[in-house]
Amino acid sequence: MNRTVRIGATVLAITALGLSGCGRGDDGGGDGGDGAAEPGEAVEEGEAAGSIDVWAMGTEGEALGAFAEAFTEENPEAEINVTAIPWDAAHDKISTAIAAGQTPDVSMIGTTWQGEFGATDALDVTPDLIDDSAFFPGAWEGTRVGGTSYGVPWYVETRVLYYRSDMVPEPPGDWEGLKAMAQAMQDGGAEYGFSAQPGGTGAWQTFMPFAWQAGAELTNEDGTEFTFDSPEFVEALTFYQSIFEEGYSPTDLPQGELEPGFIDGRIGSFISGPWHIGILRDTGGEEAMANLGLTTLPAGAAGPSSFIGGANLAVFKDSDNRDTAWKFVEWLSRPEVQAEWYKTVNALPSVASAWDDPAIADDEYLGVFAEQLESAKAPPAIPTWEEVASVIDTELEKLTKAGTDPQQTATTIQERAAAIGTGL
Amino acid sequence: MSADTDVLPGAPASGRTDPQAVRKHSPLYRRRTIAAWGFALPFMVLFLAFTAGPVLLSLVMALTDLKSRDLRDPLAVNPVGLQNFADVLADPTFRKAAANTAYFVLVGVPLTLAVSLAIAVLLNTGITKLKTLFRIGYYMPVVTSIVAVAVVWRFLLRPDTGLINEVLGWFGIDGPNWLASTTWAMPSLIVMATWRSMGTLIIIFLAGLQSVPTSLHEAAALDGATAWERFRHITLPTIRPTMLFGAVITGIGYLQFFEEPFVMTQGGPLNSTLSVSFYIYNQFGFGNYGYAAAMSYVLFIAIVILTIIQFRALGERDEVPRRKRFRRSATGAPSATDAPTGTATATASATAARKQVGP
Repeated sequence: MNRTVRIGATVLAITALGLSGCGRGDDGGGDGGDGAAEPGEAVEEGEAAGSIDVWAMGTEGEALGAFAEAFTEENPEAEINVTAIPWDAAHDKISTAIAAGQTPDVSMIGTTWQGEFGATDALDVTPDLIDDSAFFPGAWEGTRVGGTSYGVPWYVETRVLYYRSDMVPEPPGDWEGLKAMAQAMQDGGAEYGFSAQPGGTGAWQTFMPFAWQAGAELTNEDGTEFTFDSPEFVEALTFYQSIFEEGYSPTDLPQGELEPGFIDGRIGSFISGPWHIGILRDTGGEEAMANLGLTTLPAGAAGPSSFIGGANLAVFKDSDNRDTAWKFVEWLSRPEVQAEWYKTVNALPSVASAWDDPAIADDEYLGVFAEQLESAKAPPAIPTWEEVASVIDTELEKLTKAGTDPQQTATTIQERAAAIGTGL
Repeated sequence: MSADTDVLPGAPASGRTDPQAVRKHSPLYRRRTIAAWGFALPFMVLFLAFTAGPVLLSLVMALTDLKSRDLRDPLAVNPVGLQNFADVLADPTFRKAAANTAYFVLVGVPLTLAVSLAIAVLLNTGITKLKTLFRIGYYMPVVTSIVAVAVVWRFLLRPDTGLINEVLGWFGIDGPNWLASTTWAMPSLIVMATWRSMGTLIIIFLAGLQSVPTSLHEAAALDGATAWERFRHITLPTIRPTMLFGAVITGIGYLQFFEEPFVMTQGGPLNSTLSVSFYIYNQFGFGNYGYAAAMSYVLFIAIVILTIIQFRALGERDEVPRRKRFRRSATGAPSATDAPTGTATATASATAARKQVGP
């Protein structure tokens, strides 16, 4: 008995001690919620020198080491050590590195993590060395957290409409055209004219273009409050719901059924990013590619739009070799290097002028992506975005499968997002 | 902790028999104490650093508003007391996840126990040939990677081309789209989890069944008891400790169920397969560390409560029959030759269960 009391008292004492050391400071480094841009420190001129550690995920991580040799040839004093990290482990590994103060000098960062890591105050503010006007505006916007840019877009991807060009003469130009196309395809024998994601992880990426096309803004000007409960957002939800209710899109497509369905002609069209060209080629071979048409997403009341994703490059504040790190990042965002990088790993350049390179300009499919990128938008770079996105995913599923009222859906998303907060 | 003051650190036998025990505060006593602590030190350091420390820290974490933005300076957080716990209990998604988990446990645990016991009884009595082959067959799912299992089960559960709906189609039944239906997704996962975890239980039950004295069965059969009556009144009471062990480990495992929704449904459709563990995992992913830690403690308390209930329901009812049984086996037990190892295993597993989870 006595011992239990003693242990309990010890635990309480330690807890109290731990807590008394707590308390959030007011300085709050990275969270400039007022929208004022923090200026980045200047980078010294001259050749890069010293060694830096770079983390990169997926194919990029595997290819970057050899690719960076061109940089070390230009800067013989510099040394680039690339560590490849699997995508699955990357988020945790970067979080752990920040918590332990053992960050690399440069890391690739998924665009949807930018807000979260930007708010930890672990990332270095982008210096003037980087010319922001060279990038696609949507991609650059994605590096800004609370008005301050914490990195550079490295490569981009955006979503376009994949459709069976043999089933309809003309791709659709607007929302009504999309339904008309789906109807024509279904009259011609397709089971579903269009396949949109009815819910589940990542469904917001398919839905959000419709919201932007309708003119909805997700947050207010300075990114401190959500504005989901707007007439434009409800309009987009209503249209999205009608796609499912009118039978143009399946609500229960099993995993892995989309590509064979599209090649067989059971599914007439869908929205996806550039990777689907390769998947369709692998699944259906060259004869499937003959029937493939790509076009920009149909425009809404407020014009065209799409979702922009990809990855950014960020330099960490704790870097011992900040100058070299930024010089390497700057080198990676030069148009000719970006074009070369596209040839290496098929990552679409985030710098607009790199698209003039013949390897990209002459590609029969990529032109559509270039056009779409001009109007594509990134989700707000706020620390809580992943959580808010999961709320949208859940509510979208209720909208499409359970037939919830669109206005009710918008109100619920707004309420739950407001409860989560922007975190800025 | 303070056990060293009660037990003298000398050799236990000499400590008790030798009247001249080493006095406290003597140099020898102190040296022995230091030596004892020295031997215990490696374990103590590892335990404090990697077990007790993190557990204590997570409790502290649950009382703060720690989020991913505080990663660089984890001490710069505000203590919020029990606010996280209040928020967890008021969170509609958590309630949904808790209801799903309760459904999974209440249906899954009895189902798994019943199926495993039935197969174990068959293996123990009915099947004599190819016994090893069957045992291996039933144990295979336990050692197979969940990722491979998920791929195969997704194929089985496909709406049009899946094997299950194909077979149902032979009988004129139009099977549902299992994983995309809010009604059928959870039952599908329960069946899959049962299939995955029954292998271990079958092995445990087989060991328990060998401790059932055959002479009792023979005597009861002579008195005209049917197979069911013998199972109900002889087999079941004898293997009750084994049942308890099986129920406890299955209950603990099922309350933390995570892998099945993670690989099969991602918690969908409409959160109908979202489990508490999966929701905790999501919250950690969103960087709400304090909130997720509080949720983990709620789950932990649920596990403790379930285990206590199981001990009440399946544990010793009263001491008398048990002592009788011991006396019988002590006075030249009829089953002594039958399977002494089986008895040992069953008792050992029951003890292990009590040690592992006993409060």
